[in-house]
Amino acid sequence: MTLLTALPIRALRKPALALATVTLLLAVTPAPADDSAAPKPTPVPMVAPRDATIPGGPEGELIQYGRRLLTDTKRLLPDKVGSSMNCTSCHLGEGKVAYGSPFVGISHRFPQYNPRAGRDVTLQERVNGCMQRSMNGTPLASDSHEMKAIIAYMEWLSKDVPSHGQVEGMGIGDVNKKLTPDPVNGQRVYVAQCASCHGANGEGMKDAAGETIFPPLWGEHAFNIGAGMARLFKAATFVKQNMPIGIRLDGRLGQGQVLSDQEALDVAAYFTQQPRPDFAGKDRDWPKGGKPKDARY
Amino acid sequence: MKTARWLAAALAALCSSAVHAAPADPSLVERGAYLARVGDCVACHTAPGQPTFAGGLALDVPYLGRIYSTNITPDREHGIGKYSFEDFDAAMRHGETPDGRRLYPAMPFPSYAKITPEDMRALYAYFMQGVQPVAQANREDEVPWYLSARWPLGIWGYLFADAEPYQSDPQHDAAWNRGAYLVEGLGHCGACHTPRGFALQEKALGSTDGADFLAGSHVGGWFAKSLRGEPSQGLGNWSIEEIVQLLKTGRTRSSAAFGAMTEVIAHSTQHLSDNDLYAMAQYLKSLPAADGSVAAAGTATLRDDGTLAALQAGQYPRAGAAVYVEFCASCHRFDGLGAPRIFPALAGNPSLLGDDTRSLIRVVLEGGRMATTQHDPMAFAMPSLKELNDQEIADVLSFVRNSWGNAARPVQPAEVAEQRRALSALATAQ
Repeated sequence: MTLLTALPIRALRKPALALATVTLLLAVTPAPADDSAAPKPTPVPMVAPRDATIPGGPEGELIQYGRRLLTDTKRLLPDKVGSSMNCTSCHLGEGKVAYGSPFVGISHRFPQYNPRAGRDVTLQERVNGCMQRSMNGTPLASDSHEMKAIIAYMEWLSKDVPSHGQVEGMGIGDVNKKLTPDPVNGQRVYVAQCASCHGANGEGMKDAAGETIFPPLWGEHAFNIGAGMARLFKAATFVKQNMPIGIRLDGRLGQGQVLSDQEALDVAAYFTQQPRPDFAGKDRDWPKGGKPKDARY
Repeated sequence: MKTARWLAAALAALCSSAVHAAPADPSLVERGAYLARVGDCVACHTAPGQPTFAGGLALDVPYLGRIYSTNITPDREHGIGKYSFEDFDAAMRHGETPDGRRLYPAMPFPSYAKITPEDMRALYAYFMQGVQPVAQANREDEVPWYLSARWPLGIWGYLFADAEPYQSDPQHDAAWNRGAYLVEGLGHCGACHTPRGFALQEKALGSTDGADFLAGSHVGGWFAKSLRGEPSQGLGNWSIEEIVQLLKTGRTRSSAAFGAMTEVIAHSTQHLSDNDLYAMAQYLKSLPAADGSVAAAGTATLRDDGTLAALQAGQYPRAGAAVYVEFCASCHRFDGLGAPRIFPALAGNPSLLGDDTRSLIRVVLEGGRMATTQHDPMAFAMPSLKELNDQEIADVLSFVRNSWGNAARPVQPAEVAEQRRALSALATAQ
């Protein structure tokens, strides 16, 4: 019973499963405080440190390597990455862009309850979620040099953020989910606003050195159906906030704010439903229910 | 005697109104419309949000003050509706208005003087019959009284303007001559691209005037690059096809027009016929380098100098490399080649390599947008990076000017500071 009181409230819904999970979790990390009880902390403005301030020495080298792995993932981890994507294809500008799924503050927010996993997950597990879904690849060992480097970079990016980890511009913002998406108009939006970079057939674009500039949005080299980006609302929100890039005179990448909520939903309805790789572990997702309505399986 | 004078006046009035009333040949008006686009008259004679050709655009002239472009619609009170062809011709060629006023050479009449009489007729027909009259009064110039006398402009014109229509050069073919006519004349490319002398006169008005012609000049906080044959900062490494693509679409596979040139492309050159664009490109390619430099065989200055490998390996020993990786590389790439028609290449891009760095610094500080044309569905933009400090901008620009085979003098932080000051003053003035 003393053990149970320490459990997150959500875990109590299915006591048998929760017990197994929590025993496992407790072995690795302390259970996080129940955030439904405490008042939400006020997010701090997002200030990302410059790369030039990465310290020297072995610690700095690890951070630099982590930054490189996240921005140059496919080239540096060819055996682990299946899609033609880099982490920074979605985590824009080295993970330093507000509403561009930034990493700033993220290390403080994990372990975190993940409805898809039905339990609290560590930051390493979350990274591996991306590796298996968006990257359509295989997970990194938690104690690997690569994983340690990635975590080191995220911790360095989060070093000036209070321990609550709440930062203005974290995540990708929001979109009006009450609208009805129209994939036919979505195709028109795609042709007008996306195809110049992502290609008429969603194939993306590589640079002259063979590295991905614009990731494929469907087809065999794209993220698989288990990726957040394959889901309507996630994709629409990301697109509204961040696409196209290089279209404005402000913003870190001159990104976003071009499409209306409706257009973003339309175009997301179009491209998320195109053929893409399957996700092998899909049967294990949402083990406790609560599957969102835009889930692909 | 009185009657005779009255009769003459009435006759003159009749004749002149007859000129205006008689419908001109529609094809002449159409040709005039095309020529007005070549001349980009709209650029200066239309203020933002105001009726086309009704004037009112503020132009800041060094030493002088602020002048406003005039109404060139056929409105009889405020525009040029009362102009006879001879009046129009005199204004276009000599900068003289019917009331004896001299135009400031912000109006490129020294270039327009090269227009053939036939084309001048077509332009006149267009402005009289193809343009909607707009009853908008001209704005008074803001020039101090002690500088407001216009008579010295007559002497200026005598000294610096040559009022002869373009003469074909028999040593060159018809396309070259057509290109010379458009570039030197109506296109008035030299207004921005030719350096100006002590009296603000263009130092050269044509290919036969010497190496100053189109050798690059600064205007309105920009540096309008050299259009001559220097392989680094000029057009020495560009093909005719690339020049045509830039004028027509505002971009090529490896570059994009920026700054004031995007307006020239949007208003003017995107509408030109392929024949005229090829003629202009052929002519420009014939201009030798101002400094006598010659493009190496095979033209490309690009070479593998190890920059790509170093950036891929995470090695940033050179100042500016880390800034490049953090702020520039996701679009311009480790190989400096960008993305075709989306993000311009920095490797081998002549706009990066000039001695005058003000455009380069300005684009980093303000960002920039490609020309919007009928030929591409999207016009891309580079965001402002003004949050970088002077040292960071100087470092990163020095890095890109000396990577991937590029070679140019380093940029100093003081140049960035100076451009920040100049742009802030420019913004205040507007």
